[in-house]
Amino acid sequence: MPMRTEIPVYHPDLYSASAIRDTYPHYAALRELGPVVWLSKQKVYALPRYAECKQVLLDDDTFVSSGGVALNPVANRVGQGTTLFSDGEDHARRRSLLAHRLTPRALRTMKDTVDQQSAAVVEDAVARRTVDAVEVATALPMSVVPDLVGWPRQGREHLLRWAGATFDALGPLNCQAARTLPASLGMLRYARGVVRDRSALDGSMGHDLLRAADEGQIMPAECATMMIDYLAPSLDTTISAISSALYLFALHPEQWRLLKANPDLVPKAVNEVVRYESPIRAFSRTAAHDTELAGIALPKGSRVLVLYGSANRDPLEWDDPDTFDIRRDAARQLGFGQGTHGCAGQGLARMETSAILRALVERVDRIEVTGVPEWALNNVIHRLERLPLELIPA
Amino acid sequence: MKISVDYPRCEGHGLCADQAPDIFSLDDDAELTYRFEGTDVPGERQPAARAAVNACPVAALRVLS
Repeated sequence: MPMRTEIPVYHPDLYSASAIRDTYPHYAALRELGPVVWLSKQKVYALPRYAECKQVLLDDDTFVSSGGVALNPVANRVGQGTTLFSDGEDHARRRSLLAHRLTPRALRTMKDTVDQQSAAVVEDAVARRTVDAVEVATALPMSVVPDLVGWPRQGREHLLRWAGATFDALGPLNCQAARTLPASLGMLRYARGVVRDRSALDGSMGHDLLRAADEGQIMPAECATMMIDYLAPSLDTTISAISSALYLFALHPEQWRLLKANPDLVPKAVNEVVRYESPIRAFSRTAAHDTELAGIALPKGSRVLVLYGSANRDPLEWDDPDTFDIRRDAARQLGFGQGTHGCAGQGLARMETSAILRALVERVDRIEVTGVPEWALNNVIHRLERLPLELIPA
Repeated sequence: MKISVDYPRCEGHGLCADQAPDIFSLDDDAELTYRFEGTDVPGERQPAARAAVNACPVAALRVLS
């Protein structure tokens, strides 16, 4: 049986500020080293290639989430009782409480509203002409998601900062996590207040959770973390996809012309954007028993890091992975995860991103970058912080 | 080649139908219909069927044998 010393080791910190801002060279180096690479800084096995990432995501009996999917023991403890951190029957029960509200089936009633709001967002942006793409990308999710989750109107101004901080807390306990810790605790405190005061909006997902607690299906104490479970991932991630789409179409005008000539490519374009600039960097899993991955022995309790962003650029899986091409068949990309824990909100994310792209296609002739883009510093979310753009009207 | 469909797990994302519209389709209620239920996928349609299985975001489709 191979010893751990035979596994390639990567010493640079994948979570340093510079690596967070410019991660792709690190991913390429990791993929080059092998299918399983020991990160000496985080003390986990990184999986930089597509095949192993997919295998781990699909084998949720062996690679479990109940030991937490974060990279630090604090978050792995605090997050207990969430859908994200559960397995098997327990996970299925939690997911069934809310996920049915987010299936494409359930979301069809929202489509007209999302289309109208997207049109309004894009019309406003085109009228201003010079915009920050991240602001444009933020408007739609912020107008849709808090209502759906049932967050009371009061306190919403903090949601985005809190949600980002919650993601930071799922990385390693570095300066970045320490800096944003108060904000992630702020969200937890606020969510507990919503549960205590029963102030979740009527008919919302939060309201469903309160009822589930009343009926004894979940512990009342779990309501708050489960609300965060659904709210936090539905803002930054979609903002990432929409702002990355704007950036990529600005950088690749020939792709924008393709989309304008054939708006039926919008669903493929969404997959390609999420493949090319995956909004979630990585989550971890724990081996439930001694196992093997790509011929490498992993003892029970080993933590593996599923690098979605790297899997989606793996040349063993994709032709010209560093080329953005909306004609590519990118449906199998792993940006939403896959399998049992596959993103429950991906139907909504696809709906929002598609609606914004269709609204842009109708109203915008060209998209031009007018300043230096800035990438956000976050341990888990990969997204732009600021992107000055000019939208040239059609 | 047979494909198993875990209907309760299917959420109706429709990525399979984008890959292989002649094999998988969603009706007006976003309920999945699988053309080769209980039988083998014919040889020439297997690549498309595999692509559909690979694209399923919730792993409701599995290739058997």
